Amino acid sequence: MTMRVPRRTLFVFIGPAVFALLLVGVVPLGFAVWKSFHYFNLTKLAESRFVGLDNYAFVLTDPVFWQAMGRTATLFAVAVPVQLFLGLTIALVLHRPGLGLFKVLTRLSLVLPMATTYAVVGLLAQVMLNQKYGVINQMLGWAGVEAINFIGDPTNAFIGVIIWDIWQWTPFVALILLAGLSTVPPEIEEAAQLETKSNWIVLRHVQLPYLIPSLVAVLILRTADTLKLFDMPFTMTRGGPGSATEFIAILIERVGNRQFDIGMASAQAIIMLAITIALARLYIHFFYREV
Amino acid sequence: MKFKKQVSVLALTAGAAMGLSGQAGAWTLEEAAKPYAGTELEVLFLDRPGYAATIKMLPEFEAATGIKVNQTTVPYENALGEQVRDFVAGGDIDIALIDLVWIGNFAENNWIEPIETFTSNPDLADPDLDIADFFPLTLNAFGGWNGKTYGLPFDNYSGLLFYNSCMLKDAGFDAPPATWQEVMDTYGPALTKDGKHAYALQSKRNETQSADSFARFLWPFGGSFLTADFKSNLNSPESQAGLQFRQDLMKFMPEGIVAYDHSEAVNALAQGDVAFITEWSAFYSTLASPETSTLGDCLAVAPEPTGPAGRKPALGGFSLAVASQADDNEKAAGWLFIQWLTSKANAGTYLELGGVPARQSAYADPALAETYKFIPALVESWQDGVPEFRPRFAEWPAVTEIVQEWGTKMMLGEVSVEEGARTIGERMEGVLAQAGYYDGKKPLAQ
Repeated sequence: MTMRVPRRTLFVFIGPAVFALLLVGVVPLGFAVWKSFHYFNLTKLAESRFVGLDNYAFVLTDPVFWQAMGRTATLFAVAVPVQLFLGLTIALVLHRPGLGLFKVLTRLSLVLPMATTYAVVGLLAQVMLNQKYGVINQMLGWAGVEAINFIGDPTNAFIGVIIWDIWQWTPFVALILLAGLSTVPPEIEEAAQLETKSNWIVLRHVQLPYLIPSLVAVLILRTADTLKLFDMPFTMTRGGPGSATEFIAILIERVGNRQFDIGMASAQAIIMLAITIALARLYIHFFYREV
Repeated sequence: MKFKKQVSVLALTAGAAMGLSGQAGAWTLEEAAKPYAGTELEVLFLDRPGYAATIKMLPEFEAATGIKVNQTTVPYENALGEQVRDFVAGGDIDIALIDLVWIGNFAENNWIEPIETFTSNPDLADPDLDIADFFPLTLNAFGGWNGKTYGLPFDNYSGLLFYNSCMLKDAGFDAPPATWQEVMDTYGPALTKDGKHAYALQSKRNETQSADSFARFLWPFGGSFLTADFKSNLNSPESQAGLQFRQDLMKFMPEGIVAYDHSEAVNALAQGDVAFITEWSAFYSTLASPETSTLGDCLAVAPEPTGPAGRKPALGGFSLAVASQADDNEKAAGWLFIQWLTSKANAGTYLELGGVPARQSAYADPALAETYKFIPALVESWQDGVPEFRPRFAEWPAVTEIVQEWGTKMMLGEVSVEEGARTIGERMEGVLAQAGYYDGKKPLAQ
């Protein structure tokens, strides 16, 4: 028997959340869309005017935008597979029976990188990777390796951002996949382990199908996070040297907050949002349906 | 010429105010502030020595006037954005903190009041204001725009050559380099050895790249950002010579110099890793303090080396101006505070507490140079500066981003000096065209 919930009760419970979402999410988004059709510079308000799709046309033909997008895509293509591999490895280790205290300590330590403020992670990186006084070069020196110019060299700075991103977000992937592994029925897992000694076969044919929803969730969240990645590289390299670590979110901040061109920055942000939604739909279409 | 006339008018105005108040009785801050007791002022500060000095001086002002000054300290990188958003939104800021490159932006948007509003009011104008006592270069560059004065110089810098005299002596030099060519030919090769380097030029991709690195090698070589008709001058032979010189000089700098901001450059000198740096005068206290520097008596200061076109040292600094959005009481109280803080009478205290005043009279005592080694070099530098060292128009925030990106690319060798300068020039002209400089919509003021 199903009990019908009065409409008023539904409204009382859901209404505030919907209203809050509209207020903090949809209204600003709508405002950004509206402003993206305008020339709207905070330091030249008198010149504000409707420009239609001009901002979008400029952004879509702007090599600087696509270079930043390319760097962001490279970061994603390198960092996320490594995070998935390491995260899955950690999750599988923690999923094994035994090692009680070790698992508790590992789970606790996994939370630390995620709990650290992004900007602090970037500042830590800047200090630790300092060529002259950084602890990393100090340790490399003990091993006889010459000090590496991490922050001042374009390639090294990019690699540094990738490594720091992997450090911060692998634990997140591990915890999500660990939660996914806990959904595998133990009797099926045990039966499979009786059938074969190959961990790979168990993973491929038994555990992986249960992990697909978690993997899709990780892909969607990491895609959105990578596209939004700002605090850490900003405090670490400020997008430099040159444009080596100017990811798309740093570019948008530069246009909006330093050049005060809110119209153009809004157009960039809306295009980025469209790309994020398209990628999320693709993941769901190609991966999720095949479960 | 225009500026001299402006100073004269202001001096006369102040003089007239003095005369009027002389008739009515002696002007005092306490009396002037009475109607505004209880007024609260909001202002942004930076985490720099001049602001720390001001914070120590505030209790005296507040006790004398009953006016409360609420300061919020923000990083330099955030100060412009915070203020722009506050002014656009009609926020709380009553006193604008203006880097010299923001003055055009603030003035053209009518976010700040000209000081004439207050100097013409005998109730508010201190008879001892003595506008002409400010170094003309600092008053013009930090507080003036298009013939009007808006702000009074408060946190004042000039680029100086800080050097380790012991390292130079060990290498056989009795004096610092007088010209950039000497740096390249003599000092650079002699001092770059055994893991040490002759020179560190802070060049990080932010305002440091534009102001401290890029512009520093334009002007002494006869170059500039713009021609008289506001077209790019970066590919002129003089500008190219300066930028190429910077590129060639990198062999005497530590690796990764494009990641050096002020703190890294100052630290490199303070720890004995480089023999000299060109830095803002405000860093003297950091380099002189035994808590932050190992230099001790080896610290010495000189004006920046000269180039083929003269010295033309880096020029930077902040003025304080009354915000237009403040109400009448806040405006009056704000002016009294600015006037008091930058007064001749307080210049000595400000200097003693770590600030750098822009009052000529503050440096008149030759004995001061014993305590503050930077003073002779500073005074000399302020005689030969360029107000438009960085153009001060409203478009600078957009232009500096272009310079920062491509100036760094040049240093990294990702583009040639010529190609980088051409790209900056084309993009800079695009920004200026959009602003209306080429179709007569805006005056060619920088």
